[in-house]
Amino acid sequence: MSNAPHILVIDDELQIQRAIRTILTEKGFKVTTASRGEEGLTLAATNEPDIIILDLGLPDMDGVQVCSRLREWTQCPIIILSVRDSERDKVAALDAGADDYLTKPFGIEELLARVRVALRHSARVQGTQSKIVKAGDLQIDLAWHIIKRGDEEIKLTGTEYKLLSYLASNLGRVLTHQSILTHVWGPADADHTEYLRVYMRQLRKKLEVDPERPQYILTEPGIGYRFIAD
Amino acid sequence: MKSADMRISSLISRFGKYILSVGVIASITAIFFVLRDELDTTLIALLYLIPLGLITAYWGLGAGITSALLTFLAFNYFFIQPYYTLAVHRATDVVILIIFLIVAVVISQLVGRMQASLIAANAREREATQLYELSIALTSSHNENDIAKILAKQVLEVSNGEHVEINLMGEESFHLDEVQKPLRSPELVVPIQSARGLIGEILLWKTESTIRLEEKRLLETFASQGALALERARLRQAESRAKILEESDNLKSILLSSVSHELRTPLSTIKAAASSLRGHEVSWDSPASVELISAIDDEADHLNMLVGNLLDMSRIESGALKPKREWNILSEIIGSVLAHMRHLAEEHQVKVDVPDSLPLIPVDYVQMGQVFTNLLSNSLKYAPVNSMIQIHAQIENEMMHVQVSNQSPQIPTEHLERIFDKFYRITAADRVTGTGLGLSICKGIIEAHDGKIWAENIADGLAFHFTLPLKWDGASPLKLPTDSETE
Repeated sequence: MSNAPHILVIDDELQIQRAIRTILTEKGFKVTTASRGEEGLTLAATNEPDIIILDLGLPDMDGVQVCSRLREWTQCPIIILSVRDSERDKVAALDAGADDYLTKPFGIEELLARVRVALRHSARVQGTQSKIVKAGDLQIDLAWHIIKRGDEEIKLTGTEYKLLSYLASNLGRVLTHQSILTHVWGPADADHTEYLRVYMRQLRKKLEVDPERPQYILTEPGIGYRFIAD
Repeated sequence: MKSADMRISSLISRFGKYILSVGVIASITAIFFVLRDELDTTLIALLYLIPLGLITAYWGLGAGITSALLTFLAFNYFFIQPYYTLAVHRATDVVILIIFLIVAVVISQLVGRMQASLIAANAREREATQLYELSIALTSSHNENDIAKILAKQVLEVSNGEHVEINLMGEESFHLDEVQKPLRSPELVVPIQSARGLIGEILLWKTESTIRLEEKRLLETFASQGALALERARLRQAESRAKILEESDNLKSILLSSVSHELRTPLSTIKAAASSLRGHEVSWDSPASVELISAIDDEADHLNMLVGNLLDMSRIESGALKPKREWNILSEIIGSVLAHMRHLAEEHQVKVDVPDSLPLIPVDYVQMGQVFTNLLSNSLKYAPVNSMIQIHAQIENEMMHVQVSNQSPQIPTEHLERIFDKFYRITAADRVTGTGLGLSICKGIIEAHDGKIWAENIADGLAFHFTLPLKWDGASPLKLPTDSETE
């Protein structure tokens, strides 16, 4: 079991540490825990974990700060844990480089799903990135700019394609409004959430079976969007 | 030049009465002179008394006395023989002259005094009226700015001044903005003094540099009226603050008793289920254990919702709930709420009728999601299994009008408004679970968005309605950048 994925949990609440360690160990992961930010940063440097689960409310330093310190040297996926109603903190952490978030209290299936996405993502970052993204019967060819549902090609406008390709190349990750707007429209339009809302609706109409209940492009309320494949 | 003119005009106004009096006496003397042979000396003396009385009445005591003496001389010179001298020969003429002089002076004095007291009475009446108007105006206003405004306006009116400024301690100075504030220092400063010390001052600029004593006294009375009104306003404010504190205190105690009950119920379930599983009272592979485990899961969710509601409510109560507005699409918000509540809504049919053509609305995505979540969970809780829940939206009177209707039992009309109150429940608390906060949170959020929310009994159930403004700071959503179609 030496090649079991290694997860570093940075959370000061001992009960949560205990629960996550028990469950993840049971699922075959190797788990290390830290209660403070500095301790977590040191462990991340010495142990080189595959995933970091980071609580935003740490006693010694701000979780967002931990995120940006980590991002100075590692691309290791970071999953944020935080309480409800702290959208601002979550967005700040995601903009600082975190990949995903979970709102406390969370179900264990949710945690495992995020861990799986993160592992897949880190595999992609390390290996060569696949040029074709598949989601259900959707097939997005990022090299040739071709989108197909089954055998039928879906035509997108320039902006729609830019939007979709950004989402699809970050499969499973939460992308904040600001990062999408900056990436697709440019930094000057980073506040125009309305562009995003309107284009996202158009995109969903073209891609989703039921645009009102989307299965590929999911809204993360108050935070951003996420493209998922399953 | 101007000052010379002014001096002349003030001289005229000062001595005008005397000049006019002399003129009147002269012209009357001229008329009597023409008629001298026809009229008896005593009659002339009597007739002279008429203009004398009128002069005193109109132009005051000074002019009256002057005219009396002048008349005495004219009468003696022109009408008492020998004519054209001031000498008197007949004894009866001497008597007539003396009586005339006495009567003339006495009449002048009497009429003059009456006149002066009439003027004083008028002035007092005007003062009383002004004071009355001021106090009426002041009693109807409850905030300091209004009081300052009324005071400034009345002072300006009464004093006939150029500019008035009211300075209140700890507030910005208040002045009527019709006129530019003069650069020089004010001619009169009246302190506004309350029982607890100085609370402000009235500054008056007046072109006529002399401010009469009565005027000053009146302004002081105004200032004390103002002080009373300000004192009253401050007391009222303190009272309402105390009331708010008391209410929030009250809320807290209701909250504590309600919360401890509500929190304990799911905790008891969790504790019972977990301990029976741990103590091997129930075997892990029996169907009962599955039941217990899902009870723990459900009750944990319930606890989480409870805590969330309490947080929302305390935020609404403390005024900390500020919507983070963005242009959003209503159907997207509803969609994500429904996706989230999928497992809850399995026993009901949810029908969404939100036209695609609706414009973007300026709302907080998360808070609006909360509104739909609360309205839907309320509907799911009370409406019978398999019944229909409908969400409908349309534009009405420049507002977004949203309706969430269900087939739950109707609510007596008198309760329709109160269901949005905190901890208000129509049914006994044991029939349904919840904090009794869901609808009041909806109300708080909708009102923070400048909208309205209400409930209505419909033919086969109950409908919640709410409205939201379509504009944000008076603006509609921005036009989107044009997008060129590819291929």
